[in-house]
Amino acid sequence: MLDLLTSGLAIVFAPKMLLLIVFAVFLGTLFGALPGVSATMAVALGVPFTYRMDGVSAIAFLTAIYCASITGGGMTAILFKIPGVPSSAPTTYDGYPMAQRGEAGKALGMQLICSAIGGMFAALCMLLLSPQLTKAALSFGPSELFAISLMGLSILSSLDTDNICRTIISGLIGLALACIGLDPLLGVPRLTFGTRFLTSGIEMIPVMIGFFAVTEVLKQTRKRDKLDAVGGNATFKTNMPSIKEMLSVKWTVLRCSLVGTVVGILPGAGATISAFLCYSMEQKLSKHPEKFGTGCLDGIAAPEAGNNSATGGSMVPLLSLGIPGGNAAAIMMSALVLKGVTMGPLLLVNQPHYLSATFASMLVSNIVMVFAAIIIAKLFVQVLKIPYSILGPMIIMMATIGAFATKNTAVDVILMAIAGLLGFVFVICKLNSSAMILGLVLGVICEANLRRAYTIVSGDTLFQATMNLLKRPVTGIVILVCMVVLLSPVVKPLFKKKEAAE
Amino acid sequence: MALELIVNVILFIMAGISFWYVGATMPVSPINELGAEQWPQALLALLMIAIAYNIFKYFKTYKKEDISTAFKDFFPGVLRFLQSKLFIGMIMLMVMALVYEPLGFVMTSFLFLAGYGILLGERRPVMLLLSSLGIMLLLYIGFSVFLGVMLPRGYVPFLRNLALFLESIFQGLK
Repeated sequence: MLDLLTSGLAIVFAPKMLLLIVFAVFLGTLFGALPGVSATMAVALGVPFTYRMDGVSAIAFLTAIYCASITGGGMTAILFKIPGVPSSAPTTYDGYPMAQRGEAGKALGMQLICSAIGGMFAALCMLLLSPQLTKAALSFGPSELFAISLMGLSILSSLDTDNICRTIISGLIGLALACIGLDPLLGVPRLTFGTRFLTSGIEMIPVMIGFFAVTEVLKQTRKRDKLDAVGGNATFKTNMPSIKEMLSVKWTVLRCSLVGTVVGILPGAGATISAFLCYSMEQKLSKHPEKFGTGCLDGIAAPEAGNNSATGGSMVPLLSLGIPGGNAAAIMMSALVLKGVTMGPLLLVNQPHYLSATFASMLVSNIVMVFAAIIIAKLFVQVLKIPYSILGPMIIMMATIGAFATKNTAVDVILMAIAGLLGFVFVICKLNSSAMILGLVLGVICEANLRRAYTIVSGDTLFQATMNLLKRPVTGIVILVCMVVLLSPVVKPLFKKKEAAE
Repeated sequence: MALELIVNVILFIMAGISFWYVGATMPVSPINELGAEQWPQALLALLMIAIAYNIFKYFKTYKKEDISTAFKDFFPGVLRFLQSKLFIGMIMLMVMALVYEPLGFVMTSFLFLAGYGILLGERRPVMLLLSSLGIMLLLYIGFSVFLGVMLPRGYVPFLRNLALFLESIFQGLK
């Protein structure tokens, strides 16, 4: 463990790497703070920067962007009541009322400190948990890996419980799109409809950039172009909370860091779910629940510790199992695939420096972030005065560079543009983009492992082979859990309706 | 509201065609193995069921009168959309994607930044030109010069020479 820690810090404290991380933290905080630029989009926009980096530097850089963007999102939530990233939405409940009372500096200070503590807690958990999970995962065969990827998909029905059917449709569209291209086992073109453009399949990065970045700009096209800070005050100070104030939220921060890490580990669930969960949990546990929503420090500490700890949690399945814990992790995975790095249990056995670099990067980022965010917060009121007429096209051009640089082909730029337009149709039809991306990312892993598993387990018919597959203990149990997770949001309301009728 | 139904129907038809196509074009698989066609067919079948249920829910949720009103408003709505900033933005995006390689990064990004800026309501020409030029150079220097990301130079001789000229200027910055 100590070896991992020292090797990670050695990687991160190399002058070039440290500069890269500081740059990534500034970039991530800025991206996160820009309304309309989600954490996923921030990571996607950071991908072009990694094209000339080696795999370790790339993951450290993207991790720093990811962590910083989640924190950056809280700044606009406090100052403008506009969450920079969706996971900062609960921060607005208490952050903005504090800012209105003239306590914006204190709110920002609390937000930064709690984010940093949450992030560092999750990084430590990641360092402790990933090797253990990897050891277990190494004994897994294709059937178990299929079951684990299915676990990632099982969260589909919980992504948007008000629109379960639409979310499942979106996930299935993503899974179906992942089937396009060469068959993973036979190598024959599948669902290409005779066109050579589809032979290599649907490239993930342009689609993700299109769905998240381009769609967001199209959505913002109709909105107002300037944002106003609280009271138009551009000369506020960021105050660090006092020791007494920090001690008053210590249990909140600890509980939320723990919950956030666990939620982050669950594939599909991410910082947003974690932030909302932590806020509602703390409100229920608080001795003064009536103070929540009026501008109390617990109301800021809970979602900020929760959402930042989820970032570390989401890296655990990515590093140990090769299953992305969320969209941002999925983009990181795609960026590393471009570098020829295959995520999965063997990565940490053969190249443990990936884990150590990620851990050290998270640790350093969370410390640098506090200082970077103070500087950015002071500049930010000015930055947000940039009209969207300049910011929007700039985001699209950055997205275009990201899409083009994947394979240096204009086809990917066209794919990005089409994905952007489709993303907009998704928004209008209330389909779920995150579910679609989850399906697209996990589709190939799911299919390849399932088919390998069928080849390994013997059976005279497909049905018998399926039975043999389900008889494997880990596979059977995990698939059963998946079914429960997948069906519970559908079944629960039915029981509630029945109870209500009775 | 009408668009939602139309999209669902289109998706259903596309899923049906793909279901048939993948079955017809993939090699026949052994009876005890999962073949190249079965996984996509299973997904597409589930997709069709989910869409059919969504369409059923649509008719259950909305009243007949609401649906007919939505369809009456659909074509005027399409006309309004075709005249909207959003549609022009979408066209600009597609055109930018199509000319990105032939015209090269320098010209495409400058034109797009300026054009989209106008679309989003920027009415100060000097500010627009300077910001477009500034952002284009910032992105070019940042990605191409410092990060070594390949950006297209364009096929048009004049634009290609311009990109090469810029590259020669910024080589000194490396």
